[in-house]
Amino acid sequence: MTGCLMLAAVNFHTLLFYLFALLACGFAVGVVVADNVVRMALYLVLSLGATAGLFFLAGAEFIGAMQLMIYVGGTLVLLVFGVMLTAQAPFVTIKTSPGDRVLAGVVAASLLALLLQAAFSVEAWRRPGLGEVAQPAATPIGVALVGVRVDEPPAGTPPGVRSGYLLPFEIVSIHLLVVLVGAAYLARAKRRRTQRAIDVAASVQSLVEPVVEVPRQARGSASALATGGTR
Amino acid sequence: MSGMLGIGVAIAGPVFAAADGVSVAHYLVVGAILFTAGIVCMAVKRNALGVLMGIELVLNGANVNFIAFASPYLRGQGAVSLGIDGQVIALFVILLAAAEAAVALAITLNFYNNHSTVDVDRADDLKG
Amino acid sequence: MDIAAQLPMLLGLAWLAPLASFVAILFFGPRMGSHGRNAAWVATAAIVTSLVLSLFAAGTWLGAHPVQAVHHGDGHHGESHAAEPAGHGGHSTGHGEAQVPVAYAGDWYTLYQAGGLKLSIGWYVDALTVLMFVVVTFIATCIHVYASGYMHDELHDVTDHEVHLSGGGHLHRPGRFPRFFQALSLFCFSMLGIVIAGNLAMVFIFWELVGICSWFLIGFYYERTSASTAANKAFIVNRVGDFGMLIGLMALWGALGTLHFADTPADAAGAARPGLFSLVRPAAEGHALRVPDGMVKFAAAAEVAKTPMAEVAGKIDGWRSMGLGRWLLFVAGVGIFCGCVGKSAQFPLFVWLPDAMEGPTPVSALVHSATMVAAGVYLVGRFYPVLTPDVLLVIAYVGAITLFIAATIALVANDIKRVLAYSTVSQLGYMMLALGVGGWSAGLFHLVTHAFFKSLLFLCSGSVIHACHTNDMRKMGGLARIMPWTAGTMLVGCLAIIGAGVPFVIGLSGYYSKDAILAQALSFAQANPSHSILYAAVAGGAFLTAFYMFRLWFMTFAGAPRDHHVADHAHESPAVMVAPLVVLSVLAVAAGWTLPGGFGLANLLEQSRPAGTAEGMTGGFAFGSLVFPAEHLSHEGAIHVTATLTAFTTALAGVVLAALMYLVNIISPAVVATVFKPVYAFLAGRWYFDELYHALFVVPVLGIAKLASGTDRGVIDRFIDGVAWTARQLAGIDAWIDRTLVDGLVNATATATWNAGLELKKLQTGHLRQYVMFIVVGTVALFVIASLLFRTTIAG
Repeated sequence: MTGCLMLAAVNFHTLLFYLFALLACGFAVGVVVADNVVRMALYLVLSLGATAGLFFLAGAEFIGAMQLMIYVGGTLVLLVFGVMLTAQAPFVTIKTSPGDRVLAGVVAASLLALLLQAAFSVEAWRRPGLGEVAQPAATPIGVALVGVRVDEPPAGTPPGVRSGYLLPFEIVSIHLLVVLVGAAYLARAKRRRTQRAIDVAASVQSLVEPVVEVPRQARGSASALATGGTR
Repeated sequence: MSGMLGIGVAIAGPVFAAADGVSVAHYLVVGAILFTAGIVCMAVKRNALGVLMGIELVLNGANVNFIAFASPYLRGQGAVSLGIDGQVIALFVILLAAAEAAVALAITLNFYNNHSTVDVDRADDLKG
Repeated sequence: MDIAAQLPMLLGLAWLAPLASFVAILFFGPRMGSHGRNAAWVATAAIVTSLVLSLFAAGTWLGAHPVQAVHHGDGHHGESHAAEPAGHGGHSTGHGEAQVPVAYAGDWYTLYQAGGLKLSIGWYVDALTVLMFVVVTFIATCIHVYASGYMHDELHDVTDHEVHLSGGGHLHRPGRFPRFFQALSLFCFSMLGIVIAGNLAMVFIFWELVGICSWFLIGFYYERTSASTAANKAFIVNRVGDFGMLIGLMALWGALGTLHFADTPADAAGAARPGLFSLVRPAAEGHALRVPDGMVKFAAAAEVAKTPMAEVAGKIDGWRSMGLGRWLLFVAGVGIFCGCVGKSAQFPLFVWLPDAMEGPTPVSALVHSATMVAAGVYLVGRFYPVLTPDVLLVIAYVGAITLFIAATIALVANDIKRVLAYSTVSQLGYMMLALGVGGWSAGLFHLVTHAFFKSLLFLCSGSVIHACHTNDMRKMGGLARIMPWTAGTMLVGCLAIIGAGVPFVIGLSGYYSKDAILAQALSFAQANPSHSILYAAVAGGAFLTAFYMFRLWFMTFAGAPRDHHVADHAHESPAVMVAPLVVLSVLAVAAGWTLPGGFGLANLLEQSRPAGTAEGMTGGFAFGSLVFPAEHLSHEGAIHVTATLTAFTTALAGVVLAALMYLVNIISPAVVATVFKPVYAFLAGRWYFDELYHALFVVPVLGIAKLASGTDRGVIDRFIDGVAWTARQLAGIDAWIDRTLVDGLVNATATATWNAGLELKKLQTGHLRQYVMFIVVGTVALFVIASLLFRTTIAG
């Protein structure tokens, strides 16, 4: 009973915002703090998912959807693949020296302070929002991508023809094609291993052993790497 | 479970509902935190993939900012926002982040193939 | 062709023939026969051509202007001449008539003409010119023939024993036969140029040319320092005289605007312009000497400036009577005479002539006895109309002093050529004295006769030297038996020079000329008693001349040989050398004779006597008033008798004394020398003129030179060296600055850049994470700076 009353008094927009914000920031911090690269990947996925929620709350539901589909479902999956391919024992957790971490922390703190100061500096940004979503944005975005602008121009913009986003759209398409080809080339199967790789593998074996306990299967795989063999 | 949730919401609700509403500044704070976290990731992680993750965080922080500026609902009555433009920019950022991640991953895998390591501290052949 | 064109053509060709020979030998000399022996033929042929042409010219002249007898000694003057019938024939020097000599003058080529000044190559031909041409070419021909034999040593390589090389041993050089004749030809050309010259500028050009030829010839054996020094001495001493000559030329040219002797007729180039003779002795004044208008105006320049131009002409006579301009005329005359002093070896510029004996004997015979030294006397004779009484007195005294000094030195000289050289100087003094006391004809007469017997004497001495290979008379003696021809001709020459002859009857050539000089000197002394010393000098000179000439002859040819080595090797000279001796001795005997009908040297000279000089002169302002008696007076009456007797007695006394001392040895020369030791030493030291000049001129010049060179080395060079040293030090400093500071700066910049690069390189650690840090730090810093600098809010 009282719960329903309270629920009615609750500003769900604000509540959901804080929820998603907490999740996003928390998991982002988690990415930073985690040592295990696999865990880092998971936390990142979750963080970016929460970010999508933020997008929805801000009225950019199309973007939010795209975030989930492309970013989380594509890019981060790709990243996870990468993690899986390289998650050999010595590389799963690689620790940084504490000094580096402190230094990075100090610098980041200063940057954060700067950004926060910038965020709160402009009066217009601090005025509370309306807390509602009225217009869906998918159609205007889609149509703008083919060059037609159907959205209302914001007040105060000078009159004139507003351009569509056909050209950037095409460019990005070509860009993705190029990236596709390039990535495919870069990651192609090599005929033979370079001498350097062999040497490095050998040196890695010698270096890694005293530092890290190399499990037998890892050593075996390292030696498999060293003796060459295509992937 | 629902009771606990209700209690949590009951506590949190008024506390937060007492606030005037979410403004652009709130989103900017989130964006800042994501950005900073990404920077720290890039600066601290020795695993190449960790660095890539930092890059993704940075881009997302920027996206949050763009969306915040693009939203007409976060600014109050009759305020001017970026509108569709902001959202389109965020879309392109996502697309390009994908492309960049693909290439970066290809590079990382190549590096892994040649040097049998993903430790970026080993990638210092270009030192002066 | 009329005579006015014929004479210049003949004489001009005679003048140029030796030049052609010179050019031919210059270019082809060594190729003329083996060792150039045919060069002698070429030169001789040229001079013979000149002689022939001169004789033709003489013939032409005599054809047009026959020589008339000049009456002397009958004591008739004035009216008697005027009253004589026309059968007397022709002209004679008469009183009251201004006698103008026949002369042809003209110009061949004008070198430069501007306004009133005209420099040209031209001629002035009168009897004197023709006579001198014949004399010069004749003697030159004899000398050429003689030299072709005398110089045979130069036809093969020569070992000169008088040149000592630094490594010991004597100089060995190829012979220079053609060069001798080349120089001889050039000399003949130059000498004839002086004789034919129509203006003083041309005289000066050939004056200098003759000097150069003399230099060539004296220094023929130029490897001998004595010869080259003598050549330099001759040229330099001549130059000193020429300095005075230039002053005279400037005075004439500057004041009168012309240097021509004779008038230039009006022609296409301009109006008629009077020559020097007409300016100084205008026909309107009866050819009496007076200061020309130009010099008066020059001296009165201040007055002329104040006077309007139209009135100037009228005032000139007034100024002239005040005496303006006479000093300028005096300077002009003395200036020209200075050149003659140098060229004719008068006091004080006679020191070069004895040293000139370093040249080969033919040179001494031709150049330094007969021709070049005679050029001075010839110029005085030619320039006679312009010479004022004061100038003539100066000339007379200079001649007298020279006469005396040279004669005394010749008394004690032991080198045969030296004796003859001083004799030449003394005889030239005679000639100058003669001209100076008004004896124009006497002086030039003696010039001609002296040319004959002096060249004869020199050639004989050359013959003796050729035979004995020594010049020292103390080593000779008794050569008369061995060299009869030489001895005989030399005796003729000696007799000629002392003026031997039967008084009032006949004599050798010197008898007549010396007589004339003595007579004129006596006449002058009687007219100007204060200057009697001039007569005493002449008479004393005659005595000394006789003494030293016969001393020479007795020491060389008479008595017993003093050096048997010399006597054994002596021999008579070949015919080619003896023939000229004989020819010249004939002339030495006969040159003074006047043939019946009047043809003779004296009468020939009278044809060219300058206008206005026949009557004598009075005047003079610098040395008191002087009287120059007319020359013809000295040929008459008491003066003539006294002079002849004096000449005879003095000459006889001289010969007797010489015989006593050197032939029969009654008076011993050595005893005399000891008794008069200081005098003897003074004379043997040649009056110490060389030492005097050395102390007066050479030492100061050397001192100045040393001072100059010392200044140059010590001051200037040191200054320059100091400057150079300073520059080097500065350069060192600059180098240090450049090296240390500039280079250092550049290097430091480079090093700094390099080190900066090295340090900056450390930023490139290659660590990705550090790069990220840098990006972040940079971004933060940029934002901070931007926020500090730009306080505007960005977003609205």
